[in-house]
Amino acid sequence: MSLVAEAFVSQIAGKVPFIHVGNQVVSELGPIVQFVKAKGHSLSDRLDEVQKAEMKAYMELVNNMLLTAELYLQWCDEATVGEITHARYGSPYPWPLNHILAYQKQWEVKRKMKAIGWGKKTLDQVLEDVDQCCQALSQRLGTQPYFFNKQPTELDALVFGHLYTILTTQLTNDELSEKVKNYSNLLAFCRRIEQHYFEDHGRGRLS
Amino acid sequence: MAAPLELSCWGGGWGLPSVHSESLVVMAYAKFSGAPLKVNVIDNTWRGSRGDVPVLATEDNIVSQPAKILNFLRKQKYNADYELSAKQGADTLAYIALLEEKLLPAVLHTFWVESDNYFTVTKPWFASRMPFPLSLILPGRMSKGALNRILLTRGEPPLYHLREVEAQIYRDAKECLNLLSNRLGTSQFFFGDTPCTLDAYVFGFLAPLYKVRFPKVQLQEHLKQLSNLCRFCDDILNSYFRLSLGGISPAGQETIDANLQKLTQLVNKESNLIEKMDDNLRQSPQLPHRKLPTLKLTPAEEESNSLQRLSP
Repeated sequence: MSLVAEAFVSQIAGKVPFIHVGNQVVSELGPIVQFVKAKGHSLSDRLDEVQKAEMKAYMELVNNMLLTAELYLQWCDEATVGEITHARYGSPYPWPLNHILAYQKQWEVKRKMKAIGWGKKTLDQVLEDVDQCCQALSQRLGTQPYFFNKQPTELDALVFGHLYTILTTQLTNDELSEKVKNYSNLLAFCRRIEQHYFEDHGRGRLS
Repeated sequence: MAAPLELSCWGGGWGLPSVHSESLVVMAYAKFSGAPLKVNVIDNTWRGSRGDVPVLATEDNIVSQPAKILNFLRKQKYNADYELSAKQGADTLAYIALLEEKLLPAVLHTFWVESDNYFTVTKPWFASRMPFPLSLILPGRMSKGALNRILLTRGEPPLYHLREVEAQIYRDAKECLNLLSNRLGTSQFFFGDTPCTLDAYVFGFLAPLYKVRFPKVQLQEHLKQLSNLCRFCDDILNSYFRLSLGGISPAGQETIDANLQKLTQLVNKESNLIEKMDDNLRQSPQLPHRKLPTLKLTPAEEESNSLQRLSP
């Protein structure tokens, strides 16, 4: 379980996360979950069919809204792109590769946004969508410790990964993390998982 | 609220009020929430735009895209989700995301990318509803848009290959259909007894897949096996869309049913008569004797006899 949860923190970067097991390398969430399941560990076995359907639906909601919003903010918002993303994305590579790869990635992301209809969205509209998504997650979570009551599932890992990244990554404007902070139960959820599963690393970045 | 609301959308066929998923979502929502919409079907005159269909026009607003149109209708107090709890509202968002991520790519592929389907069904249908030079350009553009959407959301940069993603998107779509079927179970609608936004979306995506006749039908076959989803589509069509279908009105339907009944009765009577005759023949003692004379016919005569019998 901690394997899956840990693998999330750098999900935005693309093909990461991946895990090495012996000779095999498995990348990205879906395949990793399947792989771990095949090894006999699964978080969602005790859910019934309707709950599994709900879980998959909420995971798609997070992918659809949060992930796309994160990509938008990183690559389509000029301020963030100029100050942070270009430098960070190109940093492992020598000149001129760093610029070329960064521009190429930006072009790809913009194409994708246009194809799914986000090309014409303004930053405010994107933030509103994120707010709607967080509201839905918050209502679903309610006062329970995890999304499906007592035990965490893949959905908890996915939501934690995204929210933690949003809350702890420094960007030029803090509006995205402010949106998330409006929902106290989501904040408490992140803190609880961080303390419970990551306490040995001594990280306490969520204050 | 009194201002007339006009919706421009693609027309219908195969028993549907519209074959375009997004148009169907809006039409269904309007029926569920009681919004008085005047539907303008796009035809091959130059009236109206074809860009961002469906488009809702009021006195001072033009709204496009189903999500925005539904939001607008809700603000005008046509709200089909009035009785939903907060959690059900959240579930609605989640399931809509599931539909868009998992089902939509395969539906787009079935309609616009699969060549047999596109060239024999989709392109002629849409081209017949566009004025001349547009009918040559616009369907191709729509097809390319669909392909782009599939590749960019599912393919691997930088060289996007369709073949890699085809199998995956159909697998995902079948799984999504199974999930929807599990969630619907035996209830009439997704949240209780009255339809709401989620029902409109599911109907909008499933009904064209269910009803349109395609040459390549793997996803349709899968859907047809999920009987509760088929029943869901048929229920909505019968309850909310029957009168406006422009085909057969209920009175006409009744006379057809009555005629059918008469015909069935006639056929039954005939078959009863034939059975009785058959029984009589079997019981009659003359039958074995009758067979002997026919055996004496020469092959040529037998052949001419059988030929005579066969001629109309």
